[in-house]
Amino acid sequence: MKISGRLIVLEGPDGVGRTSHARLLSQRLEAQGVATANFGLARSALISEHIEANSGQLHNFGPRTRALLYATDMWDQVVHHIQPALDAGFVVVADRFSFTPIIRESVRGTSKDWLNGLYASAPDPDIVIVLDAGPRRILHRVIYTDGIAELKGYESGMDLGHSNIPTVSFIHYQKLLRNKFKQLAKENSFPIVSTKGTFEYTHEEIWKHVEPVVTDLIVKSTS
Amino acid sequence: MKSKEPSGAGILIAVEGLDGSGKSTQAHLLVQWLRALGAPVHHTEWNSSPMVKSATKEGKKNQRLVPETFHYIHAADFADRWERQIQPLLAVGGVVICDRYKFTAMARDGARGINKERIEMTYSFARDPDLTLYFEVDPEVSLSRIMKGRPNLKYYESGMDMGWTDDPIESYKKLQGRMREIYGKIADSGRMVKIDSNLGIAEIQKNVRKIISDSIDLSNVTLIEADDRRAEIHHYDDSTRMRYISPEGYTVLRHGVDED
Repeated sequence: MKISGRLIVLEGPDGVGRTSHARLLSQRLEAQGVATANFGLARSALISEHIEANSGQLHNFGPRTRALLYATDMWDQVVHHIQPALDAGFVVVADRFSFTPIIRESVRGTSKDWLNGLYASAPDPDIVIVLDAGPRRILHRVIYTDGIAELKGYESGMDLGHSNIPTVSFIHYQKLLRNKFKQLAKENSFPIVSTKGTFEYTHEEIWKHVEPVVTDLIVKSTS
Repeated sequence: MKSKEPSGAGILIAVEGLDGSGKSTQAHLLVQWLRALGAPVHHTEWNSSPMVKSATKEGKKNQRLVPETFHYIHAADFADRWERQIQPLLAVGGVVICDRYKFTAMARDGARGINKERIEMTYSFARDPDLTLYFEVDPEVSLSRIMKGRPNLKYYESGMDMGWTDDPIESYKKLQGRMREIYGKIADSGRMVKIDSNLGIAEIQKNVRKIISDSIDLSNVTLIEADDRRAEIHHYDDSTRMRYISPEGYTVLRHGVDED
């Protein structure tokens, strides 16, 4: 099947600004006449409700079950939503793709080959941009926006047993994730964009990478 | 040096076969036998993880499942049972009886066009059982058993999702035929032991017990002492499910969850 659309993936840990940037990116593309569709983890009609309704339970699942549920979720969206959109020429902006579920479970000791295999025949992204910020900066953002009480067990990596103190565990866990994301970017030549600067600056940095990928789809101004 | 701790190996036995092959009835009888011997035994059925099962049920009801998601969601269900039931009991040297194992995925997902290597890879965390019994039954026998038990065939059960034909029975036969072929190859490769399931229940069970006695060394299993079994037996009496063996000799009230 010929893919006429584009798949643009923003990756990075929680709190790095991914979701906000994915939204702004979609808006900018649509403003330029490019039809977009969205993808996000745990948003499938098949199991998102079950994942949300049981999110506590989900994180209590073993790593393999969790990985397979995320794979099911992704495949449901790919089959019913992403692939049809790509075939119809849409630009799909993915707020994370297969990389986060793979990284999250591989830091917990699940075989990377096995995890990669679950996504082996998924559509190939046209570009993957890894958003990056330091663990402490991300912690500050979480504290400022959601409050420290929102530091949850799984998102803080409490299950890794590094520390019983959520903030300490969080920073440790973010370091592990950050290293994995950097390694991923290096191995695949994915660009890394720091979200350290202003929101607008970061957006422009992202756009620099996106524009060449979608340039033929942009409706040129006639003025 | 001998450790007092359980070896950790445990014994894993699986039953496989087409719908209506009688494997669930036989698995149930097998579990009862092992329990009577005092073995720490656990019985787990395909598609029975509490949370995953509810999602699978939704997906089937809405006819939303396609071969890929059918594959992954059943694997998630299995993984959950592997991580919470099968592996934990094996780790302390217990006996686990699986009513359907990864060979079911190979047959069902394979019949739906999922690549064999893909299926093996997804399930690679689960080792092959110490013994897998494949209940081989003539197509007419299994079909008549299935058709007697229920008014009509369900959408995925009959493979209607594949769009092969509009006739559920024809579709069901085609799916079963493909599964039989895959099962046959797996059995021929030596990963499953064939059992003639065209016989009566007691006769089949006799053969099952013989094969197990011949090929599985139960002497390493630490039996639960009689006094420690009492609470368990009491508990079990409360949860015993109603079963009825019809004159034709098959279970009418199915205790398995099986395919919806």
